[in-house]
Amino acid sequence: MSDPRVTGELRYSQDIELEGMLHARILRSPHPHARISRVDASAVPEDVVVLVPHDVRDLGYYGCQIKDQTVLAQEKVRYAGDPVAAVAATTPERAEEALDLIEVDYEELPAVFDAAEAAADGPLVHEEIKLSENDAAYFGLRPQQGTNVCHRFRIRHGDIESGFGEADVVVEETYFTAGAQHAPMEPHAALARWEGDGLEVWTGSQTPFNTRMDLAGIFGIPEEKVRIVCPPMGGSFGAKTFVRLEAIAACLARKAERPTKIVLDRDEEWLTLNRHPATLKVKLGAKRDGTLVAKRVECWANTGAYADCGPGVAQKMGFASPGPYRIPNVWVDSHAVYTNLPPNGAYRGYGQMQCTWASERTIDLLAEKLEMDPLELRLKNILKDGDRYCTGEIMHDVHFAELLQRAADAVRWNENRHGKGLCVMLKGMQTPSRASIAVEASDNGNYTVLCATAEMGQGARKAIRLMAAELLGVEVEKVGFPDPDTDAVPYDTRTTSSRSTHMMGRALEKAVEDLRKNGRRGYGEVVDEGGLDPDTGQGVASSHWHQGAAAAEVEVDKETGRFSVKRLHAPVYAGRVINRPGAELQNEGSMIMGVGTALFESVNFSEGQVSNANLSDYCVPAAGDMPEVLTHELVEGERAEVHGLGETALPPVPPAIGNALHSLGINITGLPITAESVLDAIDRRDEERTRSTLPSQEEPATEGVAGKNGARRTYAVAFGISLGALVVGLLLRSRRIAAAKRLVPRRLAR
Amino acid sequence: MKVPLVVNGERVAVEARPDEMLLGVLRREFGLLSVRETCGIGVCGACTVLVDGEPVSACLLLTPLAAGRDITTVESLGGDHPVQRAFVEAEAFQCGYCTPGMILTAKRLLEEMPEPSEEEIKTYLGGNLCRCGCYVKIIEAVKLAAAESYPLREVSGT
Repeated sequence: MSDPRVTGELRYSQDIELEGMLHARILRSPHPHARISRVDASAVPEDVVVLVPHDVRDLGYYGCQIKDQTVLAQEKVRYAGDPVAAVAATTPERAEEALDLIEVDYEELPAVFDAAEAAADGPLVHEEIKLSENDAAYFGLRPQQGTNVCHRFRIRHGDIESGFGEADVVVEETYFTAGAQHAPMEPHAALARWEGDGLEVWTGSQTPFNTRMDLAGIFGIPEEKVRIVCPPMGGSFGAKTFVRLEAIAACLARKAERPTKIVLDRDEEWLTLNRHPATLKVKLGAKRDGTLVAKRVECWANTGAYADCGPGVAQKMGFASPGPYRIPNVWVDSHAVYTNLPPNGAYRGYGQMQCTWASERTIDLLAEKLEMDPLELRLKNILKDGDRYCTGEIMHDVHFAELLQRAADAVRWNENRHGKGLCVMLKGMQTPSRASIAVEASDNGNYTVLCATAEMGQGARKAIRLMAAELLGVEVEKVGFPDPDTDAVPYDTRTTSSRSTHMMGRALEKAVEDLRKNGRRGYGEVVDEGGLDPDTGQGVASSHWHQGAAAAEVEVDKETGRFSVKRLHAPVYAGRVINRPGAELQNEGSMIMGVGTALFESVNFSEGQVSNANLSDYCVPAAGDMPEVLTHELVEGERAEVHGLGETALPPVPPAIGNALHSLGINITGLPITAESVLDAIDRRDEERTRSTLPSQEEPATEGVAGKNGARRTYAVAFGISLGALVVGLLLRSRRIAAAKRLVPRRLAR
Repeated sequence: MKVPLVVNGERVAVEARPDEMLLGVLRREFGLLSVRETCGIGVCGACTVLVDGEPVSACLLLTPLAAGRDITTVESLGGDHPVQRAFVEAEAFQCGYCTPGMILTAKRLLEEMPEPSEEEIKTYLGGNLCRCGCYVKIIEAVKLAAAESYPLREVSGT
């Protein structure tokens, strides 16, 4: 049996057409922060429908966690790319031409782009911070009025002062991770139609019910008057969440009295949503024997001009930043900060990659200072069943030690540690949350599953159909699963956080049981309670934990700073596997995306404008960018729960690679790891070695796994010779940087 | 202007602007929605079609330049082509958006190199991006298709 993906028959929201439909385009601000002094659309021909700020000024504010967005910018624009006007015409080309006929005058305002700077001082992006009633604002929000901090989350566990007082060894470092673009192959697309006072929207979205809530709020109509249908997405990774284009499409459709569709141009993706750039400051203290005693973390998540789910990202970045370790004294302050960059939001991992990078790099810094094996240091402090995490919750069904050991074994850690790095991670699943599902039987022996879980390629639909088939005792072909439609399916929190297979699977068991009792239709619902006190971080961070680890082996060309990942292995805890190829695809895809994050993905800005908004200047991994050996494991447990796998293998990848470089004395704090940053780190290392009285080493041109072919020759050389080498090295340095720049990005010719 | 095209074996003259790329014409005039735009600048391969058998990015090919040439999209393969079967067997896709372009490129690869090495597959598919990151299984699928298309070589090779 063929599959609509290989015949090209699968239809995405960009493919949907309705009779008489118009095509829309958006006019965006060229300035990162400016007052709008005039919008003149009088030159636009009459057959083109125009939407200007004045048209939408009476509509409601929206935002999934903070209510800070309007359909079009009102009074001022807050980022270069902020929508100011929109047009709809019979063809996309005609709409594009009309955009050029709209005149907008701006008075530029001072702008701020760095999160730590914006948090401390800097021009206010929003004068007032209002909380959202959307149920995506599911935790205690702590906006700091009169500042750019739209949420501040804290953990206060133990006594941080006395904790560091007990420490024999303390390490401290500041880390930076760049913004990234989701770059789903299918761009954002939404089609809106009004039937009387009811709104229908077809949109590739992970969040049908949240989108419905916000649209109802914008138009001041009951939620039941808004219908959201979610066709399959051509990838999303967090990008297609909450209201993106739907509100503009709906306003144009209402004004035109015709269905209206928007499909974003590729460059607009970078102006719509990216991953949070983050700065993390970590201080970690331990006893001489490696026992961790205190950890202090400060996070600044740069959420851009609108909060979106940035508060949630900052909270998760904060509560996962201690890592899967027993630490008696923990102090965390995590901030979601407004700046004049494009909005940043959910991105596969939801803050997890950023905090795992900082946390796991720091463990290796500490191991170095303690002169301890990084594996041994981790295992000594790792959380086990029955241990208490810093949020106060007791851990159960955790497998961190096993995952770490499997990662280490895959790179033959016990033979030598040269050019090798490890990472272990704990990641929460959204808590609290609710999932419900209905199963309907028809006369011909077929069943229909009605649920809001959206398909974006992650295979949730197949997993749920397989589970339903097993529970019902029928072939999977007998189980239908129509596109999520808020008029037809019961409520679900959303398709995020790798929660769907786990939560819907449990709800499905109840629904099938109910069906057996009632005959025609069964309904099942699961509610996971919990949540954290935002001021102390105490409570239940996660009703169950995602657990992953990784090991990497690298080889470095020390003349240019170029390096390659020879081997990457990621064991993850799967609990119970429903669809094995699908589970493998999640791991492989996560790891490959992690390689992009580690090696080259970075949204770059020049004065607040994205400077690489295309897939030539912004590289995503191609087949040839994979490590030479890429392997993973799905660790299963008897009678274990199903664990979502959509994100688990991504966050451990960059730290494993960073730590592999660290094993060679190459200390990297920023992501992505460019050849320049490696070269700089090599220079710093060599200067330090030269300064110290330790004998220097003559080394092969490449370092890392290649070195294992033979014992590395070590010579004690006179201090004077080393000093001479340093002088020559410094002279050559600028030439080497030039060479490295030519080599970046390291991509296959296409 | 009227442009004569041969699309999936059918000879048709279509109305197109002289500056219009083949991608838009195939979608609009022929309803061939397997041809999809992602990057719009010829680096991602989502809009790959075969022009006289060669993989070409339809987002960069001006329609008049395709006049009279043989254009193949995945719709014409029917679903039972060895490369399509191999992609299904290996589950070499997630969202499926890049899959038609990937299949057409792989088809041409196997015509040029019936038994490609892993490195050759990675290089040949360098112009087809999969953001879901299915490359491990895509490479597996190409190997499967190679084995299926050339079973005798496979046997003689062992």
